[in-house]
Amino acid sequence: MSALFRSSRSRRSARVIAAIAAGTVVFGIAGCAAGSESSDGPVELEFWTYSVKAADPAAVAIIDKYEEDNPGITIKLSEVGGTAETSSKLLAADRADEAPDVVQVEYRALPSLVVSGAVRDITDDVADVRGNVEENIWALNSLGDQVYGVPQDIGPMMLTYRTDLFEQYGVAVPTTWEEYAQAAETIHTLDPSVYIASFSPTQFEFFAAQAAQAGSEWWSTDGESWTVGIADDASLQTADYWQDLVDRDLVTVEPLLTPEWNAKVNDGKILSWAAAAWAPSVIYSVAPDTAGEWASVPLPQWNAGDSSVPFLGGSTYLVPEKSAHPEEAAAFASWLGATDEGSELLLTLDLYPAGNGGREATLSNDPPRLMPEQADFYEIADQVIEDTTIPMVWGPNVNVAQGVFGDALSQAALDKASFRDVYIATQEAVIEDLEKSGYTVE
Amino acid sequence: MSVDQKAPGRAVAPPGASTSRNAPPPARRRSRRVGSLVGMGFVAPAMLFFLAFLLVPIGYAIFLSFRGLRVDGAGGAFGRRVEGFVGFANYTAALTDAEFVAGLGRVLMYGLIAVPSVLGLALLFALLLDTPRVRFTAFARTAIFLPYAVPGVIASLLWGFLYLPSTSPVSFIARELGGSSFDFFSPPVLYFALANIALWSGVGFNMIIIYTSLRSIPTELYEAARLDGAGEWAIAWRIKIPLVAPALVLTGLFSVIGTFQLYSEPATLRPLTSTISSTWVPLMKIYQEAFVNDNLGGAAAASVVLSVGTLVISLVILRFFQRRTFGADS
Repeated sequence: MSALFRSSRSRRSARVIAAIAAGTVVFGIAGCAAGSESSDGPVELEFWTYSVKAADPAAVAIIDKYEEDNPGITIKLSEVGGTAETSSKLLAADRADEAPDVVQVEYRALPSLVVSGAVRDITDDVADVRGNVEENIWALNSLGDQVYGVPQDIGPMMLTYRTDLFEQYGVAVPTTWEEYAQAAETIHTLDPSVYIASFSPTQFEFFAAQAAQAGSEWWSTDGESWTVGIADDASLQTADYWQDLVDRDLVTVEPLLTPEWNAKVNDGKILSWAAAAWAPSVIYSVAPDTAGEWASVPLPQWNAGDSSVPFLGGSTYLVPEKSAHPEEAAAFASWLGATDEGSELLLTLDLYPAGNGGREATLSNDPPRLMPEQADFYEIADQVIEDTTIPMVWGPNVNVAQGVFGDALSQAALDKASFRDVYIATQEAVIEDLEKSGYTVE
Repeated sequence: MSVDQKAPGRAVAPPGASTSRNAPPPARRRSRRVGSLVGMGFVAPAMLFFLAFLLVPIGYAIFLSFRGLRVDGAGGAFGRRVEGFVGFANYTAALTDAEFVAGLGRVLMYGLIAVPSVLGLALLFALLLDTPRVRFTAFARTAIFLPYAVPGVIASLLWGFLYLPSTSPVSFIARELGGSSFDFFSPPVLYFALANIALWSGVGFNMIIIYTSLRSIPTELYEAARLDGAGEWAIAWRIKIPLVAPALVLTGLFSVIGTFQLYSEPATLRPLTSTISSTWVPLMKIYQEAFVNDNLGGAAAASVVLSVGTLVISLVILRFFQRRTFGADS
């Protein structure tokens, strides 16, 4: 009984504390709304980023350098989460008129933020650094002719694989998706517990990139209306490709980077990951003991002899429409992402920098820690960037597509149901959502 | 406990004050008015917070549920979306959304497993702890209650690792014995796996409520029953369980409401498996609409639908059991 009294009293006092706390929050918010107007004097730029972390000495060194060279400007780093969290938080901040000054998101999130009116057009601000980054990379940051972001890092598409185990199973490195399927079959036949890779239905962007490689354009626009091609012929052929591999149990169906996936990568049960040049550092972080047994090569192609690929992943710095210091923010973003000095410094964060300066610096850099012996890693990656000639256009409702596609493909993979239907259902959901929002769809 | 509740009432109205015939009427009226003002004063903070943190947000959610983002005029392919009234579009979308309805179905399936097993085990433990001659009651009570103190997300992660074939001790032992890994995430088992997390963390809390209710039963009843020759089984079945029925209804209601609010377990386990979709339960769907798809109106409408549904089901349950458990007394 005495325990019960104690708990009810403490619950009551907890309620009082909660009420006081709530009051403080209300007044605290009211307090901060004022005082972000003046543009004279010292400027503090609030920078939302998941790459430049306050706990990382290399990142702090970059910020210190900029603050030293630009007296009166201080950068406040906040880590607010990945692209999904950052996007929703930015929209909330925009509606509350409390936007930060520089925000890092992945490229695919840009259109939806732009149509929400949360992102500033910085075409003129980046004019000076335009020549420091290749045009195929600026395309990721632009809608039409308008530039809305400064690229931080890019994802040249590559296949990262276990050199020792490919050799052990007598499999040559695949250069086409057909060879990849054969390799998958050979490996799984020799040891049924081993798979060439995991098929992760939630890797929406990978399937979009692979369809683009086959010639499909999931979103395209003439500036007035949208055309959605998620269920066009080229795209559906990629669906058939994976359907075949999954139906024959040549790839394991499971999400990436789970404890399960990590354990299988460590144990040599999953032998490769078709992704981008950022994959090695991800694999290294979950399987450091396997370092030295990996290599990266250009992504397999649909047709032998082709070399074209789109970019996969990577992120951009945007300046919110309601930033209190938009010019200073754009100047900082331009310096960090596009100038030679900034992009070389980004390389110290284990990123694949988008700026020319950083890209040149990669060539004299040591290979990633996952593959210390692969001296030509960065040369291959640089060649892949040259071959990245397929533009990736993202629509204003990528999130809707991503949700529907991931859920439906997961279900279809479990039920061994039709993957084509998943692509068709996603196409329908995307068109319905675009029309609901009031866009014209061809 | 009952003494503690009655004490303030006695202090406010001294005996004899209201029964005095000599007191002049105006003074009596005035004191009553002052009294009611004081009463209002005591209630005011609660009403204020009720208004500010419950009624206003609910009103705002209902307002939002009729609004949506639509392209403003001829904006072209990247036209800006602005907020405006969209009528009942969000409600028709929520009610015709197959995923939302399927999510409700999954929640019901989960509830059918979780609620009876949580309540059954909680009642069993409470009865066991309440039997005479039982040892280490305080320790056992705390031990059973302890998992409730573990936050849902952490509990889900702990269980997630126990379920994943590569890290699961169950699968490890199965493999060592020559079997194969056990997949806790394949659909029919998945519901039990999730219910198990609820069981682990919820039994303690419900047990405490039922146990407290058991302890407040006058021991004379047991003595009388024993004199009549009843054993412990008969006492538990014929005296204890009927007398703790109100506590069972209460915990059952909490459990049903909690079932509709199922979120953190599936959301935490989702990255570990592809069998849990991003809209697996209604709250996940609402979260996705609000924070991933930037469709606050749709999320608000779905929230209203879910809340009304929960309210209706709660009232039905209360009505049904009120007549059976409390009806005899009133």
